Amino acid sequence: MTEPTPRRSELTAHLAHDFRNALSCIHQFGNILVDGLAGELSDEQREYVRIMLENASKIRKLLDSALEGTADSQENSTNKIERVSKLET
Amino acid sequence: MDRTKILVVDDNPTIRKGLSVRLRANDYEVLFAEDAISATAALVTERPDLVILDLGLPAGDGFVVMERLHKNDRLANIPVIVLTGRELADNRDRALQAGAAAFFQKPVEDGPLLFAIRKALDVSRGELRFDD
Repeated sequence: MTEPTPRRSELTAHLAHDFRNALSCIHQFGNILVDGLAGELSDEQREYVRIMLENASKIRKLLDSALEGTADSQENSTNKIERVSKLET
Repeated sequence: MDRTKILVVDDNPTIRKGLSVRLRANDYEVLFAEDAISATAALVTERPDLVILDLGLPAGDGFVVMERLHKNDRLANIPVIVLTGRELADNRDRALQAGAAAFFQKPVEDGPLLFAIRKALDVSRGELRFDD
């Protein structure tokens, strides 16, 4: 498997930031609708918005897990480099 | 009595709109800035009661805004709540050390954000200490 480079890490952080902003908008406006701040919803409409919100939360969890994986991978990569350096000295 | 004034600093117009709907529904007056320069100007001219601050901003990031705020005696005790899409690891401790009253990563639940706003306002008005 290819190890993440600094350029890739930067790109990942940038993508994560943009994902979080987009999720934040879905989350904010979904809750505004559910709470009736833009007018009352029917029970059916409220249920559909809840489904959207639940899935936005799932995407957030997936994103956090994926980023943890990237961080672990980077840490392992650093450890490998340190180990190699120690072996070389 | 004047309504509590909150300055929302975020370069994303949709985030600003969503926050304004939620904050106005909770009886706050909401002002906006979309970059570090207009945020600094709004702090001086409007003197808000609290700032909700994104970190990734054009023309200087949120840390620059906090630094300017804390260097000005007239503004230094305005509480700042950081709300950002940036990573926790690189930014949470730095923001709290820079004087933020609370740090949230987007997307944030409305309940904890509104609670943090009320608490930070109580602390700045001397009605509560942070460790209460």
